Amino acid sequence: MGIFDYFSSAETKRADEVRKGAVAPDRSERKKCWEARDQFYGCLDKHNVIDSLNGDGKKTAEKECAPENKQFEQDCAAAWVTYFKKFRVADYQKRRPSSG
Amino acid sequence: MPMPFAPATTSKMLRSIVPKCQQQATAVAATAARQCPRRSLSTTTARAQQPCRPTASTTKASQRCLRAFPSTPSTYNNSAAHQRRYRHKTVEEAKSRYRTGPFSWKAGVLFVLAGGGLVWYFEFEKQRMQRKRVAEATKGVGRPKVGGDFLLQDQNGKPFGSADLKGRYSLVYFGFTHCPDICPEELDKMAQMFDLVEAERPGQLVPVFVTCDPQRDDPATLKTYLSEFHPRFVGLTGTYEQIKDVCKAYRVYFSTPRDVKPGQDYLVDHSIYFYLMDPEGDFVEALGRQHSPDAAAKVILDHVKDWRGPIKQ
Repeated sequence: MGIFDYFSSAETKRADEVRKGAVAPDRSERKKCWEARDQFYGCLDKHNVIDSLNGDGKKTAEKECAPENKQFEQDCAAAWVTYFKKFRVADYQKRRPSSG
Repeated sequence: MPMPFAPATTSKMLRSIVPKCQQQATAVAATAARQCPRRSLSTTTARAQQPCRPTASTTKASQRCLRAFPSTPSTYNNSAAHQRRYRHKTVEEAKSRYRTGPFSWKAGVLFVLAGGGLVWYFEFEKQRMQRKRVAEATKGVGRPKVGGDFLLQDQNGKPFGSADLKGRYSLVYFGFTHCPDICPEELDKMAQMFDLVEAERPGQLVPVFVTCDPQRDDPATLKTYLSEFHPRFVGLTGTYEQIKDVCKAYRVYFSTPRDVKPGQDYLVDHSIYFYLMDPEGDFVEALGRQHSPDAAAKVILDHVKDWRGPIKQ
């Protein structure tokens, strides 16, 4: 519908570009992404999932944290989503020896 | 009968200095002295004191006092010699002198001040020498060389090289605009560090951001990206080969894929240190994630203050 369509499509286009990694996200987009990531992490914590990319963790994450995951993928670049999911595992392994 | 050898002051002194048991002895001595005048006083007193077993200090005090007492006629008649032998004006002064020895609160304060001053000075010099060692570890022949000459493009598209950094300290950071979490945090930290240094030594530090992802980070992208962190940041980009050479010179590891299809997203793994370079372009120190902005700013400022060479204003 005219001008509204134009604005919303510009916004969608920008979000789409960010997701595909064509443009680098700015400060507010990074913040939004990190918030979505923390929501997703929170859900994984609730269901004791560390690795949401492989095995049982993946199944549980798909079953229990689907909405969070969707939001996460919506707000972050695809490369970042993979990065953060892998980072969670690496970070856990790095912390494990010190925390007992 | 007048007593020529025992003036009033002396007998008073004897009475006031020696405590109780010796007072008896003094009394004995006085009577003895009265009975057999001259020279007999000190020996009599000493003998009379013995059974009392006084403490060391009182013995000393009384002995001293007795020694001050003129024992030969020739001495006590000579008034100049008489005065020289009394080192203290009053009995109280003599008393405190013997109780505390050569120490007084003034001597104590002087000692503490001098000691504290020396400790502070040595600590200061030690830290300065340590910084000097760190700063000069990469100078001269046979040292590992970090950094070097380069020529890239800044965020305005103008050429910018190592020559533009000479004459000032520079803080060099490598990153890329698509960096998910670490670089933005570190760049915010770098902005804080820069502000802290700038507040104390304006214009003596240049913050530099070199991209490891030249394919996607053109000058315009860098400009938009860096303006969100600090308007004074210098953003550098170039061709893949140029960036590779700079990273190699700074011993920076990075893993940008060389041939990426257009539209394909990827991340760059890279070293995350701030490199502090001196006005001659030599590497000084690497600052890492363990440094808080305040700690890092302090490290930088200490080096800046140590610098004795020319600085561009």
